[in-house]
Amino acid sequence: MALIEIQNLSVAYGKPSRPILTNIDLSIREGEFVCVLGQTGCGKSTLLKMILGAEMPTRGRILIDGVQHNQPDRTRGYVPQKYSLFPDKTVLDNIAFGPEVSEFNMFTRFTPRYFRRRRDIRDEAMRYISRIGLHQRDAKKYPHQLSGGMQQRVAIAQALMTCPRILLMDEAFSALDPGTRKDMQRLIRQLWRDTGFTVLFVTHNTQEALHLGSRVIVLAKESDEAGAQVAMDMSVPEPCHEQQIPVLVHHLERASGSARAPEPVFATA
Amino acid sequence: MSVSFQLVHAKPNRITTIALSWMLFAAGIGLYFYAAQKRHQENPEDRIMPTVSQMFHGMTNATTNPAEDDEALPENASLRQRLFASMLWKDTVATSRRFIYSILLLIPAVLLGLHMGLFPYVGVFFLRFILFFDKIVALSLLPILFIVFGIDELSKIMLIVIGVTPTIMLDTFNLTKGVPNEQIVKAFTLGASDFDVAYRVVMRQIMPRVLNSIRLNLKAVMLFLFAGEMIASTDGLAYRIALLRRHMGMDVIIPYVLWVALLLFLVDFAMRFANRKLHPWFQEA
Repeated sequence: MALIEIQNLSVAYGKPSRPILTNIDLSIREGEFVCVLGQTGCGKSTLLKMILGAEMPTRGRILIDGVQHNQPDRTRGYVPQKYSLFPDKTVLDNIAFGPEVSEFNMFTRFTPRYFRRRRDIRDEAMRYISRIGLHQRDAKKYPHQLSGGMQQRVAIAQALMTCPRILLMDEAFSALDPGTRKDMQRLIRQLWRDTGFTVLFVTHNTQEALHLGSRVIVLAKESDEAGAQVAMDMSVPEPCHEQQIPVLVHHLERASGSARAPEPVFATA
Repeated sequence: MSVSFQLVHAKPNRITTIALSWMLFAAGIGLYFYAAQKRHQENPEDRIMPTVSQMFHGMTNATTNPAEDDEALPENASLRQRLFASMLWKDTVATSRRFIYSILLLIPAVLLGLHMGLFPYVGVFFLRFILFFDKIVALSLLPILFIVFGIDELSKIMLIVIGVTPTIMLDTFNLTKGVPNEQIVKAFTLGASDFDVAYRVVMRQIMPRVLNSIRLNLKAVMLFLFAGEMIASTDGLAYRIALLRRHMGMDVIIPYVLWVALLLFLVDFAMRFANRKLHPWFQEA
């Protein structure tokens, strides 16, 4: 059975209601790395928010492991583009936050068991800090003292600490410079291979989608008034040969701009 | 050669900065004493603009003698005893006590604002009413408060509460709404409960801004406090100022006004300092 089952999902916003997504049917298996690709405003972030449970669909439903969820919870980790770290907590506290709040409530947080367990959590958080390529001395820094790339590294570690089965990433690397972006792509691929969680990665960058995903889904609108639908759903050959990429980019970008006037595609080598 | 005088790009040096920033103080003080001197030449008994020596005399009296004759100290009382029995000390204590109660009563206001912003049911229950309540001119309620709560401490503190808490509640509400939704969603995906999100994520984040908002409202707190004290009280700094007006006691009124300003400045400074120490992560936007 599929881990994420999206059935006949439609979303419309505002009054008069403007459709964002129409009749999306998808099923995602455990362990897939799915990249959701599409032009700005095509509703790919909306799809992610629906899976997250932060917003409710107008029609249709989403089953995670056969169960419908009506608010965000531990089964789905989340790495947004911005505001992913708690600005008032240090790097270490940010990473340790998940296990601390999910294992202890407001009352058990004063028991000796909590203080024993907290030491283990902090040790594990420190291991994550080195695993994501930060220095041990960065543990005491606040998020505003880190660069954008470092912040996203910490955000990934923070999300992975609670071992979610699904990791949802919304344009997580879009604000980073190309070099940092490459490093981050390598890091997330590595972590995905090691741990085997399911990733849903929203991006508007075709190259990024092809480099990362084991499967690429393209969302596109038929016209400006219509909601987006799945325009293409393909699995990326593994390993994906570098010379294949320009062809695939061309292919995908045609799909994502299907209804619009065909835009010139610059195949970048 | 044309020397252009820069305005926007001007860079005053240190000495100029110091000189310019104190200039209005110097001018104000100078002008006052010039006028005071003029008046005293015409009428040595002038009470409207007391000279330095008159104010010094007035304040020495206020800091070493009790306000009421029946509290008079024995002749041999020590300076310490005199200080703690003095008019200024007792007034300051009375006003500070009311001030501290009022500030403590802002804590529930902050908590209510937080819950209103975060829990929709609490929000819809309170918001409309508080928006209305906020528009009531608190001073217009003063007669009602005196009738309902009597003219003792409670009515004065209630006046401050009614005057200031709606503002603080609405401000906290807005600050809570201003926390990026990503933060709240993220906390839930990490397994936080609703209350973890309220107290460990949102409240901690808005705290420095809430403190700044309280700092901005210190003047409003003092305004209502002084209004209450001036109208119905038997002690307190504002009561004294109002009382001395009847005797034209400018030699004490002027130092009292400056003393109140100094106290308020110190409270504000302490809060700013505490805010910086408690929230080293806070980036003033």
